[in-house]
Amino acid sequence: MTTASRRMSLTPAARRIAWAVVLVATLVLLVFGAGRNTGPLTQQERIDVITKRIACPTCDGESVFVSRASAAQAIRAEVARQVGDGVKTDDEIVAYVADRFGGQVLLVPRGSGIEALVWVLPVVLAVVLVGVLIVLFRRGNRGNRGIDGESGGPEMASTGTTDGAPANRRPLVITLAIALVVGIGVGVLVARQSGQRLPLQTATGGIEDSTASLLAQARLAGPTDVKSAIDLYGRVLETDPDNVEALTYRAWLIMLSARQFDESLRTQAYASTITALGRAIELDPAYPDAMCFLGIVVFRDGGDAASASEFLDKCIARQPPAEVRGLVESLRAEVDAALGK
Amino acid sequence: MKPARIGALAVGFVMLALVAVLVVSDGDTDVGARSPLLGQPAPAIETTTIDDQPFTLARRKGSWVVFNFFNSTCVPCIAEHPSLVKFAEGERARPGGAEFYTVVNDDADAAIRDFFVANGGDWSKLRDTDGAIAVAFGVAKVPETWIIDPNGFVRLRILGAVTDGVLEAQMARLREGANS
Repeated sequence: MTTASRRMSLTPAARRIAWAVVLVATLVLLVFGAGRNTGPLTQQERIDVITKRIACPTCDGESVFVSRASAAQAIRAEVARQVGDGVKTDDEIVAYVADRFGGQVLLVPRGSGIEALVWVLPVVLAVVLVGVLIVLFRRGNRGNRGIDGESGGPEMASTGTTDGAPANRRPLVITLAIALVVGIGVGVLVARQSGQRLPLQTATGGIEDSTASLLAQARLAGPTDVKSAIDLYGRVLETDPDNVEALTYRAWLIMLSARQFDESLRTQAYASTITALGRAIELDPAYPDAMCFLGIVVFRDGGDAASASEFLDKCIARQPPAEVRGLVESLRAEVDAALGK
Repeated sequence: MKPARIGALAVGFVMLALVAVLVVSDGDTDVGARSPLLGQPAPAIETTTIDDQPFTLARRKGSWVVFNFFNSTCVPCIAEHPSLVKFAEGERARPGGAEFYTVVNDDADAAIRDFFVANGGDWSKLRDTDGAIAVAFGVAKVPETWIIDPNGFVRLRILGAVTDGVLEAQMARLREGANS
């Protein structure tokens, strides 16, 4: 053996450590490379990047970026508008489109649900294959050593069995099981890192407490659970004090609830309701509901038929939705009777 | 048990499970099409009519709202128009009837006016100049019809042309569901 080859030869333990260092270094570099921030993009670059991630919903195999179909143009215009607003991240804009057209428009599959298999399965397969190769390689080495007659006896003795076949399969099964678990774990991590995120997933923020969602919940609670509805409208007003719908319906529900209490509470509720409805009308004079409720409250709780009649006329001129129109039309005759019409 | 036999049994089990799923599952015979928006609050829509009147969808809460995405050169849109006219007239005649709107898809105001003058339908026609409303609802091809309930939730999406009585039947079903 030459001096150089002696210097290069390593003990098995040192060789394993060297391989482990190489493996860790590779993984660290891969993670660093994948997660590296390439710096700010221009708006046009962002639009291009986003539209390359979305499939044209009416074409075969074309992204919104390349398609000239009208649906693709509309999506491109929407992406440009949202990029221009500067509020949403790229992931959120892609998720907005996917929320409307469905997951099939995502050219980058999602990292959750059945689509996550696209990310997980290749990783699992790769890890399992590497595990199987390692076992087969080691078995080959042992076989060679056995043929050489150097360690065949102790190797057989270490299995603790004499029938051979089950003992030979055991390392393979154990390795497969470990590789499967590791592969699934790594695959899930890859899916989470690389898959398209949805609005409710952490990396892109949540919409569950958005104003629209709170208003929708309040609307649903309204008829049966007035207290919850008032609370929900109150939460909307905490973040958006000028929300006309929340101002109007919170005031209306407070007045309806107060009717079952004593005079002083009703008086307080009446004053606050008139103020809130007046504020809503001031913010959006075309909003019919506030004007209609003002007419109803002024008549029912304030006893002022003349003012009520004026407000109800304005309400009808603003074309209220069917539910509110029904309330107003049923009250109209009473107001007219009170005025002696 | 030999591994080959275990494998064969596993494959057989999976095949049986697939057959069972196919046997017990219902065919997709509904008029309504799938959309991630079904059961969700409708997108916020703010636009103008082709007569320059403002329109805000959130202000129509309390009414059933029907959107029909339309283009005057689209053949199925033209074919379904008489059914839409009948539906809109029926809804207008009933108390608490649904509000019907055309959402103009990739078409000029003048072409829309000409079409409605020739074919009837005096409901409001909403502009969607850059396709924002179509994208908000995930509409890729016209015609499409959407129904939004009085609480502002999307309840139904119909792809393609409707025929006589389809919208009436769907509205009746949705109203019944809302009242139960």
